[in-house]
Amino acid sequence: MAASQRDVRSKISSVKNIQKITRAMEMVAAARLRRAEQRIAALRPYANAIRRMTRQAAQAAGTSEAARVPLLAEHESTTNVAVLLVTGDRGLAGAFNSQIIRAGVRIAGELSQEGLRGSWYATGRRGVSSLGFRGYELAGSYVGFADRPAYADARTIADDLITAYVDGHIDRVEMIYNAYVSPLRQTVTQERLLPLAHATITGEEEEEAQDGDEPRARAAVAYEPDPDAILRRLVPDYVEISIYRALVESTAGFFGAQMTAMRSASDNAGEIITGLTLQMNRARQAEITQEIMEVVAGAEGLS
Amino acid sequence: MARTKFPAEVLTPEGELFNEEVEMLSTHTALGSIGILANHEPVLALLEPTELRLYRSESDIVRFAQAEGYLQFAENRALVLVEEAIAPDALDRATVETRLTEARAAAERAAEGSEEAARANRDVRRYEAFLKVAG
Repeated sequence: MAASQRDVRSKISSVKNIQKITRAMEMVAAARLRRAEQRIAALRPYANAIRRMTRQAAQAAGTSEAARVPLLAEHESTTNVAVLLVTGDRGLAGAFNSQIIRAGVRIAGELSQEGLRGSWYATGRRGVSSLGFRGYELAGSYVGFADRPAYADARTIADDLITAYVDGHIDRVEMIYNAYVSPLRQTVTQERLLPLAHATITGEEEEEAQDGDEPRARAAVAYEPDPDAILRRLVPDYVEISIYRALVESTAGFFGAQMTAMRSASDNAGEIITGLTLQMNRARQAEITQEIMEVVAGAEGLS
Repeated sequence: MARTKFPAEVLTPEGELFNEEVEMLSTHTALGSIGILANHEPVLALLEPTELRLYRSESDIVRFAQAEGYLQFAENRALVLVEEAIAPDALDRATVETRLTEARAAAERAAEGSEEAARANRDVRRYEAFLKVAG
C-alpha cells in the first residue's frame, strides 16, 4: 500500500512538471503570436499600395502590353509544376505541419495522374525533412526563419521561383500554406503564384467601390519611365509579397496552433493530476482504514 | 525661406518607417535624380537604390539607404514604397560588403541574358548603392 502511494505521488509530480513546461510554452507562443499578428498588420498598407499601383500601371499600359509581362504569360505547354510548401521549423503544434505535408502529397498524386512532373520547394525544417524522408527531391529548401520571416527571405524564394519560371524550367507554381484565420484556426490554402492571373492584377472590383484613391489614378500622371516598365517590375514584387504574406501568416498560424496544442496539453495534464490525486487519496484512506481496523481488532483481542 | 510642406510616407513590407510633413523629398528614379516639392505634378516612378532624403527643413534631413521601389505623388501627398530602407547609421558595412561579393559571384555564375543574371545584377546595384550611403 505504502509503495503504491509513493508511486502515485511521483507520477503526480512528473505530470506537474510536464504541465509547467506546456504552460510556459503556451505563454511563449501567445507572446510570439501577438508579434506575428503585428507583422501581418504591418504588411497590409504596403501590400495594398502595391496592389493599387499595379492596377493603375496595368490600366495605363493597356491589355496588350500587360500580356507581354513574362510572369503574366502562360507557358505554351505545362510539363513541370513547382510546389512550394510552407511549414514551421519546429513541431509541438498539433496538425500544423502534417496537414501541409498531406496536402503536398495529395498534389503529388494528382500531378502524376495528369502526367506532370513536380518540382518541390519547401520552407521550414519540418517540411524539408518530411519531404526528404518521403523521398522527394527538393529543388529549393529554406530553413531557419520560420519563427520570424524577413522580407529578404521571401525575396530569396521568389527569386528562385521567378528565375526558374522565366527561364522555362517550371511552367506553373503552386503554394500551400496555413492561412491565419484566428489564433484557433488555420486553414490549409493553395494559391497559384505563377503565372499570375491577369484578373488578379487588374480586377478586385469590389474593392474599387470604397477605394477613395480611384480619382487619383485617373488624373494625368507622369510615368517614369513608362507604365509598361513599371508594371514589369511591379508584377514580380506582387509575387514576393504573396510569398511574404504566406510566410508571416504561417508563422502566426504556427504560434496559434502551438498555443492551442499546449493549452490542451496543460488541460489534459490537469485532468490527469486530478485523477491521480483522487487515486492517491483513496490509497491513503485505505491504509488508514486498515490501520484503524488493526487497532480495533487488537483492542478487542485484549478485552 | 521655409517652403510649403506636404505629407510624405515611407512604407516597407515590414512596416511604416516615416510619416511626416516635409518640405522636399529627393531620390533617384529610373530616369535620374528627382526632387519633389509641394504641388509637384502627379507622378508614378520606379526608384533605383540610392540615398532617400526627406527634408523636414533646410537643415533637418532624414536619410535612408533605399532599395528598389516606387514613388507615387498624387493629390499633394508623397508615397514611397521600398522593399528595404535602412537608416545610414544602422547600415553594417561588413554585411553589405559580403552581400555585394555574393551578388557579384552569382552574377558571374549566371548565364548571360538569363533572368538569374538580371536578378543578381539588381542585387549588385542595390548593395553598391548601400555602400555609397554608408560612406
